[in-house]
Amino acid sequence: MKWSVSLAAACAFLAACGGASEDAPAPETTPAPAVAPAGLLNVYSARHYDSDKDMYKRFEADTGIRVRFRESGAAELLETMKAEGDRSPADVIISSDAGTLYRFKAAGLMQPIESDVLSERIPEHFRDPDGNWFGLAKRLRVIVYDPARVEPDQVDEYTDLASANFEGEVCMRSSTNIYNLSLMGELIDRMGKDTAAAWARSVVANFARPPQGGDTTQIEAIAAGQCSVALVNHYYWVRMTQGSDAQRKSVEKTALSFPQQDSWGTHVNVTGAGVAAHAPHKEAAIQFLEWLSSEEGQSMLTTETKEIPLVAGATMPEGLDRLPPDFKESTFPLNRLGENQAEAQAIFDRAGWN
Amino acid sequence: MSIPASIRGFRFRSVDGPAFLAGLIIAVPVVVTLVAGLMNGGGHAWTHIRDTLLAGYTVGTVGTLALTAIMTLAIAVPAAWLVTMYRFPGRGLFEWLLILPLAAPGYVLAYAYGDLMGLMGPFQVAIREATGWTARDYWFPDMRSLPGLAFVLTCALYPYVYLTARAAFVSQSVCALEAARSLGASSARRFWQVALPAARPAIAAGLALTLMEAAADYGAAEFLGVPTLTFGIVRAWQSFGEPAAAARLALVLVVIVIALILTERHTRGRAGSQQSSTRWRTVSRAQLSGWSGLGATAACALLFLVTFALPMSRLVWLVMESRGQIAPIGQALVNTLILAGSGAALAFVLALVIALTARQSGLIAGFARLMASTGYAIPGAVLALGALLVMGYLGITLTGAWAIVALAWVYASRFTTSGAEPMVAALGRAPASMGYAAESLGASPLRRAVSVDLPVALSGAMAGALILFVESLKELPATLMLRPFNWDTLSVRANAYATDERLAAAALPSLLITLAGLLPVILLSWRLGHSRPGDTE
Repeated sequence: MKWSVSLAAACAFLAACGGASEDAPAPETTPAPAVAPAGLLNVYSARHYDSDKDMYKRFEADTGIRVRFRESGAAELLETMKAEGDRSPADVIISSDAGTLYRFKAAGLMQPIESDVLSERIPEHFRDPDGNWFGLAKRLRVIVYDPARVEPDQVDEYTDLASANFEGEVCMRSSTNIYNLSLMGELIDRMGKDTAAAWARSVVANFARPPQGGDTTQIEAIAAGQCSVALVNHYYWVRMTQGSDAQRKSVEKTALSFPQQDSWGTHVNVTGAGVAAHAPHKEAAIQFLEWLSSEEGQSMLTTETKEIPLVAGATMPEGLDRLPPDFKESTFPLNRLGENQAEAQAIFDRAGWN
Repeated sequence: MSIPASIRGFRFRSVDGPAFLAGLIIAVPVVVTLVAGLMNGGGHAWTHIRDTLLAGYTVGTVGTLALTAIMTLAIAVPAAWLVTMYRFPGRGLFEWLLILPLAAPGYVLAYAYGDLMGLMGPFQVAIREATGWTARDYWFPDMRSLPGLAFVLTCALYPYVYLTARAAFVSQSVCALEAARSLGASSARRFWQVALPAARPAIAAGLALTLMEAAADYGAAEFLGVPTLTFGIVRAWQSFGEPAAAARLALVLVVIVIALILTERHTRGRAGSQQSSTRWRTVSRAQLSGWSGLGATAACALLFLVTFALPMSRLVWLVMESRGQIAPIGQALVNTLILAGSGAALAFVLALVIALTARQSGLIAGFARLMASTGYAIPGAVLALGALLVMGYLGITLTGAWAIVALAWVYASRFTTSGAEPMVAALGRAPASMGYAAESLGASPLRRAVSVDLPVALSGAMAGALILFVESLKELPATLMLRPFNWDTLSVRANAYATDERLAAAALPSLLITLAGLLPVILLSWRLGHSRPGDTE
């Protein structure tokens, strides 16, 4: 018994000492190339896709810069970086929501950078006005509905979800979810705080069940007939069209509506990235961001996720042809999503939207 | 523990130094987090949380704990009684099978049951396909609800009560039960009036562990969408970006947990029945024959099926179904074993110190034990925050070895009590007169601890160490925050996939966590099978 404990302790210390050296080979990187690596890049990412590992490898192959990454929830990364202070090893921060990118900036964890490449490729409303972060891939918050029970023109605006027609027909995920918070962040500015709060209360009154699950869960609930309308990010729907038999069967019973086509356009959010305030490898960090905005980077970023490449001319991931060929998207400045986030959460909480 | 008396009689003894140090090591992450929260104020977020959310979180936590307690007692105590006192087909097998759920963390069962019982799970799909109904046309139990959360937590945690109750029934002096029998007490009456009161302290200890673990759960509550205080803490931090508000919610949780601890202590204090005889004889297990025997077998089989076999089969099925798309997971397994091993090693040392000093009750021993119990109920995320703050003050960058140290520290801070309790219980079974004898022979408190109590405590050390290892291995939120670069663990992978609704991908790491947890649990079961004094079966 005591043996096993001391053995475990010994293992831990060996591993700890092994890991302490900056130059010790990291387990998840590519086999060391024959030539010495040209540099190092530490990525803190709030995404967790297996394809991102391939993306880092491709960047390593292209530039010779070795990538080490830490994937975690955005909040954990944020608190970790705050605690690490100016000794943080982070060079690049990637997050799949403008609201969280804003919070990294507001906490002083990012630094403004100047890059002609990025300014040229990325539209202004998709990046921080001060150059702290840059949007890289688009995600749309759309209405999914049951075409057997709902006509498309009944769901062509976000406000339709609050309509008395949909009493007991609405499924939603938790309001803690950043996608709902960011949508509310836009609605607050578009409709005014009080109208947005009234909207939230009416949507809650229409709930078919308490908020639960993720976006896929909402699509499945509609397919199973538990409710007939919900809000989802477009890529969850697209992924289901290429998923298991059961998922394809479910998703084909539903349809998407891109709201606000006759007004301000469908709500857009981004996966984006910025350079950490105390980045030890700032040059490599900028180089990585620019690479992500290249055709190759855009494709690596979106192939598995089914997000929409943000840079004009990049290859569309397979499956996006199921979306309408042309739609109007909102040009709302994304930094406002973060600024409104606390207010958005307060509105949801007061409305009883768990 | 009467505080005035302790203060009056307080002298610094040789055992107090290590106890104080152990208590301090355990307490620092909690204390730093709470103090940081109180000093910085809760901000706007706190006003909002207090006015609109606090009541719901409190109801969620208290409701979940109450329901979990009722369900756990209702299944664990009768199961323990059945396998200890009766003979029926499969008894020997079930005796240890019923411990296996200890290997599966609550969040793993939540993933499995969320999928199994969900709208798209096999049962509901079968109902809809067979009848042509839609989901609105029939009722089905909803796992994504407070009762669903309590159910899942009961499945994962009832073995704590089963183990302590079983140990208590096994080690009860046969004489009391046989005296009752010879006086004509029925089987039911022997259970309610003799065995249960005597086992009450042990059951209360097991239940306290269960409920502390339930109060600290984050993964299952998050996945099943039940607002609890722990969920609220993480949410206050994620949505509002206010660790101070999170720390204030932690304070409410700590109050609830201290209430639990005091209740347990109270129960134990009043019911401190001393065993009058330490002579052991084989208890003759009553044979359950015919229908009652089959009934006992069926009840145990159903319990094992529901709490373990069914959800695990679902995960296995998900893995088989999605073969080919499974990401390699070997490195994560190695990382997990190393991290859990270092956490368990540190916690084991602290637990031993606490168990030995708790034997010689005093102010500082009480402090150390209270700190350990409190740490157990603090969500890993809050402890990790405390550890981060301390590392920051000390000017240490959280990379490489330091991250492992910090994580081991958080594991120890969180789990030491679950390793200490079996040792305390082992000591509690030895007659107090042993210690008094040592003291009357002039042994110093330190000498008494080392020469008299240590060997006794070590009989509970096996259980303690195993529980510590399994607990560290399952830990999720702190591991998410503190793990070093490129150090994904199994729990981190499982959570990442599950929250992204990729349950098939979450199934493999979930199963591996359970498998890794199984090895020590099986060892524990095996030992238990041979631990009954005088058991010749």
